[in-house]
Amino acid sequence: MLSQYLKGNIKFIERVSSWEKSIKLAAEPLVKNKYIKEKYIDSMINNVHEYGSYIVLVPEIAMPHAKDAENVKKTGMSFLKLENSVLYPEEKEVKIIFILAAKDNSEHLELIADLSSILADEDVLKQFKNVENEEELIKLIESIES
Amino acid sequence: MLDNIGPQGDATGMRARVQAFGGFLTNMVLPNIGAFIAWGILTALVIPTGWLPNENLATIVGPAIDYLLPLLLGYTGGKMIGGKRGAVMGAIATFGLIVGADIPMFIGAMIMGPLGGWVIKKFDDSVKGKIPAGFEMIVNNFSLGILGFLLMIFSFLVTGPAIQFANNLVASGIHVLIDTGLLPLLSLINEPAKVLFLNNAIDQGIYYPLGMQIAAEAGRSIYFTVASNPGPGLGLLLAYTFFGTKKARRTAPGAIIIHFFGGIHELYFPYVLMNPVTIVGMIGGAMSGIATFQLFDVGLVAGPSPGSIFAYLALTPRGNYLGIISGVLVATVVTFLITSFILKLTVTAAEGDEDDYEKSLEKSKSMKAEGKKVLESKNDTISAENISKIAFACDAGAGSSALGATTFRKKLQKNNLEDIEVEHYNIEDVPEDADIIVVHKNLADRARRSHQNKRIVTIENYIGDQNLERLLDELK
Repeated sequence: MLSQYLKGNIKFIERVSSWEKSIKLAAEPLVKNKYIKEKYIDSMINNVHEYGSYIVLVPEIAMPHAKDAENVKKTGMSFLKLENSVLYPEEKEVKIIFILAAKDNSEHLELIADLSSILADEDVLKQFKNVENEEELIKLIESIES
Repeated sequence: MLDNIGPQGDATGMRARVQAFGGFLTNMVLPNIGAFIAWGILTALVIPTGWLPNENLATIVGPAIDYLLPLLLGYTGGKMIGGKRGAVMGAIATFGLIVGADIPMFIGAMIMGPLGGWVIKKFDDSVKGKIPAGFEMIVNNFSLGILGFLLMIFSFLVTGPAIQFANNLVASGIHVLIDTGLLPLLSLINEPAKVLFLNNAIDQGIYYPLGMQIAAEAGRSIYFTVASNPGPGLGLLLAYTFFGTKKARRTAPGAIIIHFFGGIHELYFPYVLMNPVTIVGMIGGAMSGIATFQLFDVGLVAGPSPGSIFAYLALTPRGNYLGIISGVLVATVVTFLITSFILKLTVTAAEGDEDDYEKSLEKSKSMKAEGKKVLESKNDTISAENISKIAFACDAGAGSSALGATTFRKKLQKNNLEDIEVEHYNIEDVPEDADIIVVHKNLADRARRSHQNKRIVTIENYIGDQNLERLLDELK
């Protein structure tokens, strides 16, 4: 499920200048492919301004999202990997960003479940942090999907 | 709170259960006292015998007590058991009662509301994880709809006959007691019947007609006073004012004005419902009141309606003032004394919790000033027993909380702890039945504000945070 959603929404970039920029860049494919409106990006950034880096789920991995269903057209997820980490508030280094756009309260839960399978297994997580292109990433995700 | 529930012997366990039940009733009634007061003010003002009679506005009085107040109680009761869905179910179940009966259905609402919440919670538990993806919405709505429909019919069909039965029982009981000539004994039936909102049924249906027959010859009758004496209600509310739980102390004085001066007895009923043992004080006070009226051989010239102290004085025949005023006073004092005693016994323990809580809040505040370790020490002091539901919360209730919940659920499964439910919510929507809230440390203050009496575990990392590991160890 996760691999299906990510296809076409994946980016690998060398570096970005700020965490705000990293959210914008990571979300770009979702705007282009009509999952979200531009405003959703601002909501995600404001959320971090307001509550800090709670979206950094585990070291190096962040999942920006916001409570703003109005600006979400359909449930989607995108992926951005940075070669050099960017600092999020509270000095948190982030290299991998998943943008989550949830249209309702249940549809995205399978995506979350797959994501959790990746993050909870140390071996998978290690491989995951080292993927270098879209193909490797999709293969890895497909291997953990049930 | 979980803090003080530890392993217990039979006797203390029983007491703890009684207290927990009392706390449950209180929590169901207290949030709605404001609605009772709104209704009480309106009623005291606009009914034909009120201060500013207004036929048009008076049309609100009946529907508000028949529909609004029981629905609020049923809604709150359902919510306490089954969260938001429980609340809706509680309201649906209560509505069947309301239409099925012709008196206000308060006790019924306090039974059917929580029952509704329980039914939907059981259903949700039984289908959890078995609904195919994408069908959640339809299953959720139709399960609530169909179960609600059944419960509504059930409560409609059952209440009518049940109320009729209670009415007959009360009426025949009263007639038996009148025949004995021992009028104070009437209170044994009057007071419980009043709190069941049969007050108008017994006054208008039994005592006032009886009183009128006698008053037609003697010019006055004691029957007008046996159930309408405002003294016991005043005594009860005064006792709550001085010895009730903190929240009850704040609302009781307002209720006194509406009850004693406005004559709207319904205002004190919720306070009896909160702590049913206090009915003993009501009966004691009412009995002493009747005995005093008998001793002075006094009565009223007509049925006081509403039963306020002013209506009493206005309807007292010349020469009876001393007796009538004494009867009201004696009833007030006796109820006050008995109820205060009961409250002191039952409230101290609960109040202790409250104070403990305030203290721990103080403590956590000062700790916060020192460092950022907001509530962790409080976490340590709580025993892990009886934890059945853990709520992961975040701002949206969709992303990080869902991820944390999913991962933690898997961990519990690995450790064979499948009885513990793990769900995700946005912070403000965490239901009452959650035992622990897990939240990112940046959101801890917001969680604390919405859920003051819940244990909160703060984390920085949604997977493998050391506080989560500790929580897991604790649950094993």
